[in-house]
Amino acid sequence: MRPLDPRLLRRARDARRYVLLTAALGGLTAALVVAQAMLLARALAPVVEGTAAWGDVAGVIGWLALVVAARALAVGLQERWAHRAANRTIADLRGQVLRHAVALGPRRDGEGPALATLVTRGLDALEPYFVRYLPQLVLAATVTPATLAVVLGLDWIAAATIAFTLPLVPVFMWLVGVATQTYAQRRLVVLQRLGDQVLDLLAGLPTLRAFGRERGPAERVRALGEAHARATMSTLRVAFLSGMVLELLTTLSVALVAVGVGFRLVHGDLDLLTGLTVLVLAPEVFAPVRQVGTHFHASSDGVAAAEQAFDLLERPTPPSGTLAAPDLRTTSVALSGVGVVAPGRGALAPAGLDLDVRPGSVVALAGPNGVGKTTAALVVLGLLTPDQGRVVLQPAGAPPVDLADVDRTSWWAQTAWVPQRPTLLPGSLAAAVAADREVAPDARARAARLTGLDEVVAAREDGWSHVLGHGGAGLSLGERQRVALTRALLGDEQLVVLDEPSAHLDHDGAAVVHRVVDELRRQGRTVLLVAHRRELLATADVVVTVGASATEPAREEGRDD
Amino acid sequence: MTEPFRTRVRRDPLVRAIALLGVRWPRVALAVLTGAGALGSAVALAAVSAWLIARASQMPPVLHLSVAAVAVRTFGISRGLLRYLERLVSHDLALRGMAHLRTEVYRRLADGRTAPLVALRRGDLLGTVGADVDAVGDVVVRGLLPAAVAGVVGLGSAVLVGVLLPAAGAWLALCLLLAGIVAPWWAVRAARRTERRARAARTEVDALTLTALEGGAELAVAGQVDPLLDTLARREREVARAVDAGARPAAVAAATGTAAMGLAVLGSLVLGIPATAAGALTPVELAVVVLTPLAAFEGAALLPAAAVQVLRSHHAAARILDLLDAAAEPVRAASVPTAPGATPSGASGTGAQTLRARRLACAWPGSPPVVRGLDLDIAPGRRIALVGPSGAGKTTVLLTLAGLLPPAAGSVTLDGRDVGALTRAEAASGVAMTAEDAHVFDTTVLENLRVARGDVTPDEAAATLDAVGLGPWLARLPEGLDTVLGPDARRLSGGERRRVLVARALLAPAPLLLLDEPTEHLDDVDGAVLRGLLDGSLTPGRGVLVVTHRLAGLERASEVILLDRTGSVRARGTHDELLASPAADAYRAAWQTEVHQETR
Repeated sequence: MRPLDPRLLRRARDARRYVLLTAALGGLTAALVVAQAMLLARALAPVVEGTAAWGDVAGVIGWLALVVAARALAVGLQERWAHRAANRTIADLRGQVLRHAVALGPRRDGEGPALATLVTRGLDALEPYFVRYLPQLVLAATVTPATLAVVLGLDWIAAATIAFTLPLVPVFMWLVGVATQTYAQRRLVVLQRLGDQVLDLLAGLPTLRAFGRERGPAERVRALGEAHARATMSTLRVAFLSGMVLELLTTLSVALVAVGVGFRLVHGDLDLLTGLTVLVLAPEVFAPVRQVGTHFHASSDGVAAAEQAFDLLERPTPPSGTLAAPDLRTTSVALSGVGVVAPGRGALAPAGLDLDVRPGSVVALAGPNGVGKTTAALVVLGLLTPDQGRVVLQPAGAPPVDLADVDRTSWWAQTAWVPQRPTLLPGSLAAAVAADREVAPDARARAARLTGLDEVVAAREDGWSHVLGHGGAGLSLGERQRVALTRALLGDEQLVVLDEPSAHLDHDGAAVVHRVVDELRRQGRTVLLVAHRRELLATADVVVTVGASATEPAREEGRDD
Repeated sequence: MTEPFRTRVRRDPLVRAIALLGVRWPRVALAVLTGAGALGSAVALAAVSAWLIARASQMPPVLHLSVAAVAVRTFGISRGLLRYLERLVSHDLALRGMAHLRTEVYRRLADGRTAPLVALRRGDLLGTVGADVDAVGDVVVRGLLPAAVAGVVGLGSAVLVGVLLPAAGAWLALCLLLAGIVAPWWAVRAARRTERRARAARTEVDALTLTALEGGAELAVAGQVDPLLDTLARREREVARAVDAGARPAAVAAATGTAAMGLAVLGSLVLGIPATAAGALTPVELAVVVLTPLAAFEGAALLPAAAVQVLRSHHAAARILDLLDAAAEPVRAASVPTAPGATPSGASGTGAQTLRARRLACAWPGSPPVVRGLDLDIAPGRRIALVGPSGAGKTTVLLTLAGLLPPAAGSVTLDGRDVGALTRAEAASGVAMTAEDAHVFDTTVLENLRVARGDVTPDEAAATLDAVGLGPWLARLPEGLDTVLGPDARRLSGGERRRVLVARALLAPAPLLLLDEPTEHLDDVDGAVLRGLLDGSLTPGRGVLVVTHRLAGLERASEVILLDRTGSVRARGTHDELLASPAADAYRAAWQTEVHQETR
């Protein structure tokens, strides 16, 4: 782990400002630490030597009180702004990662949950990094050299004792860093896997109970937990070792300074004022460095998460073309020889797909599960770049355009997509079907009758103003599908992709799809229908059967991960 | 579980949760001892150094200093060593505690009621359970141990200074309380304030984040990504405002801690110098009294963070115990133990079993019934189709019939014995249930099938998968039966997932099977699987209940039960009887549409 990732400063404005503030406060704190040590020694030494009484040192103690107040203030200010900076930086990064993740297209490699963890809990771990670690890092760069310089000016032998240990500190810091980085990352992986297994068992508990087999896995949960504890302890034993050496060196160094100063005092080589100043300053040289070590563990998770976030942000998004999409009302979409590698299955699904979607026609993609019907729909939507073949737009009376060269936004402006599990944003039912359009109530009522959404609305006391929670909470999957179909009917996109539109509908599902497709046909819109049920295929003008190839495609044609 | 947990008066959730950590107290004592030794070494180092230097300035014979010099060096070494030991002991405690708690949570949920579990799964709250267990475990290392260590060392420091000058000792104790009690109090206040104000916004942020990640592609096509991210940014600003509000008390807490140490030093000067002048304190002792406080605050400085950790763990413990308490509530108050006319003595583990429902009403706890007045007999050889509108109700009916949910009214008996009163193993040896949202585990195909029965052989597994039409799918898998299916059955399409679930149900040892929508999302174009379940070819000699809304294959069922929208039985009989019955217009109409479309 790099103590301060330059990418963090580059990508987060609030982080930059915060580092500046922290540096300024760090400089101030260094001055105050030195002042405090000198004033304390000046107040104490003459009294111990018996050369001064209360009246002689009262002024010095007054100054000391001021310095104490100023130090408390600096610490308070630091804390006051640290939380704010951490919070804003996390929010900023979260937004960037989400935007980029969406731009990267649908994830088919199963990293979705890991990404969700990263964006929520992972990035939140940056808070201790900002609030605790970073300020100490800055103090290590200000207080440590300033105090050491003062000690050097007062007593070079003590300074040499410290200076002998001090270079070892970065070395051990580095060792701590290397050890912890490897362990933190390995621990994250192990933790994740063990945690996932336990959660998987918990999630499956109703199923296990249904088969009367819920007792057995308790032993497995226990074994997993103990394996986890053992694995973590063995890594901690090593990780803490370097921390111990660090602490040993710094404390021992302070002890040696004290003993050295003591013996030089006995021989009269040093006066008490200098001795006391050095004694008070010596621990201060090491304090920030030790704190950096202490907070390293807590902050390393956040930094690891930030690095993951940066790595994701540096992943190139699929290139969007620059050409404006041709008018789909007069453009055919043609797939030729399209093949997509199915992740982890060693097969092309679909394989060698040829398809011609003419304006105003209803084309159905048929075939058994797993042959890549949905994948083919993603390719048509421009969400997925095919590994083989290409998608060509053929406008009437104009040269053909490759979909890869077309600007996504202009393409999406003309396409609507009803996936198997439609996403609904929180808001009213009315807003969900309108999708930011002006919708006449009678058009809405008509569309809702066609999709059966009218019954769903009628069943809610507050009708169209019924508010949906996140992820369409409050609606069943079938009801969500009806909402999405209604939205598609009310829209004006020319190409409508319906992916298994009856998958979660009741017995009237087939009838709903028939009515929706007929209405879309009447509106002159183009429909690409993914379906496996025979009764749905009957609504299509053209049925194209999708096939997969079981053969491993040549490596260079595959995706690089 | 031997202790009478439920009867005990409600105690603080954190105390109860800590009891579940299985903490070994001698280890805790060892951790406190080593921790106090480490911190104490630092204080002793400061005190002895101060004495050494002040005494040295009086130029005594060197011999007089040698003990102190050795002591200083020793403390310089012991600090690091003891700290290392303390960290190992305390982390070991915490990790084992978490493992213990996780096992306890699993055990209690496994033995408890089903409804809270299903609700947990539906609410996608399982991830929170994992995090909460960690938070409770953290209370040991980050909350309780630092507090204990700081208390021991703080007391020791105050006593040390107090022996030399009682007033200075009292003052140091006061300042330590300021740093160790007042500062943490402010820190907790800050955390509470942030938590209270930010909680709703944070939940929104998480939900919006998940929506953006899951539905990102769809939102992009619909042009909804920017509005979503704008909403997210607004919520993040709300969080930021809340954090800002909490940062003020946090700043007070931090400043208090720093000021306390300064005050301690200033106070010892103010008290010590006149005492020295008055002869109550020697000059050397004055150095010790003034300089010891510089090292005495290290423990107290950790307490604000420790207090916040205790608060956090407290919330987590409350959530975990709510869940455990919900699962542990008595499964059923006093219900009908046996159905009228049943013969309890005839109940046996094997042989011909009959699942009998009488005047059964099924309801999700706290919701109106989805099914009422249902009479049902499932026996080997009988194959029943329950047809009705889909929704959350089907799972409720099946859970009730399987004895996993108490009936809202009426009774369910297995060979005359109340199915809910049987142990899970007894009930499952008679009835196996597969819900629509049954879990596919993140393990191999074979292990997933072995959930039904532990001794399923690879050959049996392959044959059963083939019987439900997954033969070609199995052949395509890179590692066959040993292919890992991934979390949430991600490697399966919807149809494949359902067929795997059917195969798993078929492999269960129970003679009676309850299945939820085996074909809804299945490219079972000709209804082969549903037909096979209902004509007995897939389930020879077994009793089967299938809840479905598809009608293909129903002509082979022994009985078709048609539910209306209110959950009452509208008509029942064989397929042919229903077609002839005037009461089943809808059935006839639906049947004709479906048959018509399938043959078109």
